Amino acid sequence: MKYRPTVGEILQAKGVSRRGFLKYCATTASLLALPPSMIPRIANAIESARRPSVIWLSFQECTGCTESLTRSASPTVEGLIFDAISLDYHHTLQAASGDQAEAARHAAMEENDGSYLVLVDGSIPTGNPGYSTIAGISNVDMLMDTVKGAAAVVAIGSCAAFGGLPGADPNPTGAVSVQDLVTDKPVVNVPGCPPIPMVMTAVLAQFLTFGQIPDLDKHGRPLAFFGNTIHDRCYRRPFYEQGKFAETFDDEGAKAGWCLYKLGCKGPTTYNACATVKWNQGTSFPIESGHPCLGCSEPKFWDKGGFYQPLSTGHFGSGATVAGAAVAGVALGAVAAAAGRRRKAKYTKEA
Amino acid sequence: MDLLEFARGPALQFAALVLVAGTLWRIVGIAFLGKKPDYSEPRGPGGLGAALKVIWTRAFTAEPFKKATLYPKIMAYVMHIGLFATIFLFTPHIVFFEGWMGLDWPGLPNNVIYFIGVATVVSGFALIIRRATSPVLKLISNFDDYFSWFVTMLPLVTGLLIPVRALFRYEDLLAIHILSVALLLIWLPFGKLGHTFLVFMTRGTTGMVFERRGAKT
Amino acid sequence: MTTVDGRHTIDREAERIAYKPPEVRHDKQGDMSTEERVEMAMRHFVKNFNTQTASYLDGCLHCGMCADACHYHVRTDDPRYTPIWKIELFKQAYKREVGPFAFFYRLFGFKKKVTVEQLEEWQHLLYDSCTVCGRCSLVCPMGIDIAGMVSMARHGMFKAGLIPHELHETAKKAAETGSPLGVTPEKFEERLEWMADEHEVDIPLNVEKADVLAVMSSIEIQKYPESMAATAKILNAAGESWTFRTDGYEATNFGMLSGNVEWQKEASMKLIDTAIKIGAKRLVLPECGHAYMAMRWMGANMYGKPLPFTVQHISEYLAEALNEGRIKVRKVDKSVTYHDPCQVSRRGGATQAARDVLKHLGVDFREMPNGGDYNWCCGGGGGVVTIKRADELRHRVFKLKMDQVESTEADELLSSCANCRQSFDDSQQHFNWSYKMGSLLETVAENLEEGKA
Repeated sequence: MKYRPTVGEILQAKGVSRRGFLKYCATTASLLALPPSMIPRIANAIESARRPSVIWLSFQECTGCTESLTRSASPTVEGLIFDAISLDYHHTLQAASGDQAEAARHAAMEENDGSYLVLVDGSIPTGNPGYSTIAGISNVDMLMDTVKGAAAVVAIGSCAAFGGLPGADPNPTGAVSVQDLVTDKPVVNVPGCPPIPMVMTAVLAQFLTFGQIPDLDKHGRPLAFFGNTIHDRCYRRPFYEQGKFAETFDDEGAKAGWCLYKLGCKGPTTYNACATVKWNQGTSFPIESGHPCLGCSEPKFWDKGGFYQPLSTGHFGSGATVAGAAVAGVALGAVAAAAGRRRKAKYTKEA
Repeated sequence: MDLLEFARGPALQFAALVLVAGTLWRIVGIAFLGKKPDYSEPRGPGGLGAALKVIWTRAFTAEPFKKATLYPKIMAYVMHIGLFATIFLFTPHIVFFEGWMGLDWPGLPNNVIYFIGVATVVSGFALIIRRATSPVLKLISNFDDYFSWFVTMLPLVTGLLIPVRALFRYEDLLAIHILSVALLLIWLPFGKLGHTFLVFMTRGTTGMVFERRGAKT
Repeated sequence: MTTVDGRHTIDREAERIAYKPPEVRHDKQGDMSTEERVEMAMRHFVKNFNTQTASYLDGCLHCGMCADACHYHVRTDDPRYTPIWKIELFKQAYKREVGPFAFFYRLFGFKKKVTVEQLEEWQHLLYDSCTVCGRCSLVCPMGIDIAGMVSMARHGMFKAGLIPHELHETAKKAAETGSPLGVTPEKFEERLEWMADEHEVDIPLNVEKADVLAVMSSIEIQKYPESMAATAKILNAAGESWTFRTDGYEATNFGMLSGNVEWQKEASMKLIDTAIKIGAKRLVLPECGHAYMAMRWMGANMYGKPLPFTVQHISEYLAEALNEGRIKVRKVDKSVTYHDPCQVSRRGGATQAARDVLKHLGVDFREMPNGGDYNWCCGGGGGVVTIKRADELRHRVFKLKMDQVESTEADELLSSCANCRQSFDDSQQHFNWSYKMGSLLETVAENLEEGKA
């Protein structure tokens, strides 16, 4: 078995300063809601960790999740940590292809049986196996084969976590999420379209530090990042309470940075860390740039009404059914009244 | 389909259908019972105007009864105005109505609505305590009175839990709130909450009969 | 089950005219089985369920505010006297038999069938403790006319043979003899002649054709005969072509009070037929509250079409004649308060008439606090004054009336209803009260300026 440098050695080789590294560890600790005393332990764990073996499977996806991680404006610590892990298989990033690539996957699986991580982005079609194949292997087969010896599975992005866009109504490929198929391994969902890079690496950092997966919410998401709604952490929240709302995208309210609730913001029902961690090294997040939250880290977010339809809008059908109910009501009333009149007439006659 | 989707989709839709059907059922069931014509020589106008007059005037207590009915009247006013404000002047609700009817109107700040909501709940408890303790009300009350109170208070209480995120997560609270509204809408036409529409019939009828006599309404 | 013989002696000494207290009470009439009584009550409740009553019975919120308007509840704090509770059985029947959801009420037994025990219990609530004064109808936030439904509920009670002994006897006597006090046409004629002599007034009787048909209540004929003379004086002074008739003179309607619709109709039709026969343009009702309700507002409906004549209460006639200057009165230098008969004012709409009359009399008129349409009832309306066993309760609630009258500190108390008058007389005697109710009609007659204006 070839020598595997520790993550610390790799980061050092890449020129990450000790100061920068510890800062990252501190941020991770706070994100994971760990006390500051845990920072050295995290640092130590990451530094001394042997490169874990990671197999990244991409199914019905758009590569946005990978882009999110790798295409930051400048190299970030989280990007580098990502680099530092042993990506034994990632068919978008790896140079190898075809049989060679598949051979690498099998080699990694054999070498690290029982300890490797499987990261998945993209949903898995269950309709026709031919909808999505890699090297002639259907997505379902590849997933089930790969997770057999895995320590844990991380579903990266909303497609892998919940089915995402391919799984949206009417779901032509019969797309399902990882957790729909993998039931005998721990599955961590890191949804988002794409997920926040910091969140992805923090989950990995946690795994490296504690050797176990974090506490999850009912949707299998790490509570540390998905425990609060965007709305509850939103800097525009006071405007919501004051009843100050942007009515259109170019009105005074929008310019003044008022609440985007009426423009369809899904912040109140969306659990994610956007409002606190933010994007692009903490620069901003969608609401801050004037756009309502789409709720991308929630299951079935494509199918929850229009993006610009306010949250409290009812989702019920046409007026035809209501008209039908009205007709039924009048009919029932008429029948009831007729019955009443009949009784009255009968009693009057008998009286 | 998660709970929230169920609540604001099929549940609310079903409730709306029951509301419409039940309301018409009751109105038509009463209206089609028929009425004998009144041949007496009228003293005053007894038509629609008289009905509208009493629908309006009976919203206020006549001077001689003010003292005796002060407490329940004030509580009932708080209850009704509170319900009106919380239902129709809370922005997320307005957005709901706008999505449904395409009409919108200005709302009140949420904090004001929360305050009104709490006052409404307080008045509701004041009224139910009175119902449970006053000898008159104890005698004349039935299941309908208590259940109708319950289904009216439920949306108020669940609605007020949302901003404080009590007991459940936001989307679950919202779902429970909407489900409680659905329950209210389903029950409304059948029990005493039917007074939301029956009030026009009872007051209107009295207006037409007694204004026609030129008698006190 | 005993059938009541109906032979009772009139107690002429009492301050109100009624039968002497029965030695044995028969508050159940007829030989019916329990089931039959319930069945009859149901049928005759159900006959009243139309759009109006249905919306009332469906609309009640159980807010209990009507209790605060009812003199019986206010004076006793007994929750059973809550007006809407008095028609609970009527409501129960509606929900079960005719309401929009009656099917479910029956299917699941949400509303049980009314029992005869309940009906007997409710006899006290529907007769002894309700004067149909309608004060509750004004407080109801839903605008429900509770009093009107008490009258309707009595229809079922009567047919079930479950009404108070005295009221049944009185109503029966009225149906049999044409007068609740047994005033036969001969008796009426006799008393008219007496009054004509006594007051040296011309009283036309049985004129073939006349513009005005005047009628009387038995109470007046028997106990307040001056009213007959007063009526004659005024109609003469106004230069009316008018008459009393022995084929239609009784204005009271105990059919209505007891709950017998057929008897109510018979009594009303007698007057209507007579008025039509003589070609009357106007039927002037005496000082009697329920007579006004029976004829002014229900008469045409008994007749089945609009009446070909106008119906007026005597106070309305007086107000009109005075306003038009057809009669003139001397000024009366006294302070006066006025008791509004419920059926004439609150429920009849003629509240203003008496006030117009008092204005012409030039008295120092002192309205009672919460007077006029919100007046407390005398406690004797709706047939209650005939029911002996209700006396104690009636006197108890009369306290409200006394307080109301006394607070005006007026010299005199006037009203325009012979039934109120006998309730006042009875209570006045009971309490040895300083106020004695006078008649508006007689006061006008006494102060009439002779010679047509």
